[in-house]
Amino acid sequence: SGAAWARGLLSWARPERWLASGSLFPVSCIHTSTSLQKIGKWEKKNRIVYPPQLPGEPRRPAEIYHCRREIKYSKDKMWYLAKLIKGMSIDQALAQLEFSDKKGAKVIKEVLLEAQEMAVRKHNVEFKSNLHIAESQTGRGRYVKRLRCHGKGMFGMMKISRCHYFVKLVEGPPPPPEPPRTGFDQAKEYVQQLRNRTLVHTL
Amino acid sequence: VLVRVCSPLPRFRALIQRCWERLERGLWPGVFGGQSPPWGPLAVQGPALVPQGINDVGESSAEAPILPESVVWMAAPKHRRTIEVNRCRRRHPTKLIERKRNIDVCPECGNLKQKHVLCGYCYAKVKEETRLIRMEMYKKEGGPFNAPTVETVVLYEGEKPTEKDEGKRIIERARKRPSWFVQN
Repeated sequence: SGAAWARGLLSWARPERWLASGSLFPVSCIHTSTSLQKIGKWEKKNRIVYPPQLPGEPRRPAEIYHCRREIKYSKDKMWYLAKLIKGMSIDQALAQLEFSDKKGAKVIKEVLLEAQEMAVRKHNVEFKSNLHIAESQTGRGRYVKRLRCHGKGMFGMMKISRCHYFVKLVEGPPPPPEPPRTGFDQAKEYVQQLRNRTLVHTL
Repeated sequence: VLVRVCSPLPRFRALIQRCWERLERGLWPGVFGGQSPPWGPLAVQGPALVPQGINDVGESSAEAPILPESVVWMAAPKHRRTIEVNRCRRRHPTKLIERKRNIDVCPECGNLKQKHVLCGYCYAKVKEETRLIRMEMYKKEGGPFNAPTVETVVLYEGEKPTEKDEGKRIIERARKRPSWFVQN
């Protein structure tokens, strides 16, 4: 398990740039692209490289992280759409979003299509339909405060809200939905809790 | 940098002023003989507005029981709703978006369509063709309000007018007949 831990640490701390080796003065290390803006954590999740799998291990499903920043929409309203498509297959999610009347549905559809294309091109996904949405979340973007004019010379301050949208696609069919918790399950759990009780600080 | 032009205080002050006027009209009906009080930087403390300052000292202590019941105070929340309570309300199943179960595949083009609605792609195709036919009609007519009183027939490449299309106006379209446009 120590070797596995070390491997995991190395894989987490191994960005692709360092693999390109070579000369005494590696020119590739100089920032040539305009990367003054911070690259978000979600975008960096696509950069992790796992070590090659051993022959006996089950195949690790491909994970694709994609997001869009500063969408002109409210994060609470976007959350309802994100909750709708959580756990669906990508085709189902695209169908639901196409016929939804909300403004955020169009944006999320574009994001999903982009992510699907990325998956096929860069992340070695064989079938573009064989993806499901493992995580879909919204975040708060930068808010701007503005004046809102009322009658009789009164003013209020309104905030123009923006949001981010994050999605994680995983290869494979969607997991089966959890069966709802029945009263019997709750009763069993309660009885188990009673049975787990024990005396502390004693022999 | 946030520029605060007006705080909500003026609105609150105006409300207090209006309530106080109503109170005064109830208590001292003879004070304002139909004149509206001047707007401006008036003090919020009521007793300073009224010229009769002697009675106020006695009245202000016994204000509460003399308050007429017609004055209605606005309802306001007493406590802050916690985030747990807010979440229960916002994430209630009735508020979540329902999954649509009436989405099918169009047999003509293969795009998605709702069961009770025309396929969007096929409709756009037909709309585009109709627009081109209308352009041809406009070119033939030459101007507005020149529609002929006879029927119109659209003929595509390689089609001849039959004896059924005797007196009708013929519109030529320079392309192959689309599969969905059935010829009579």
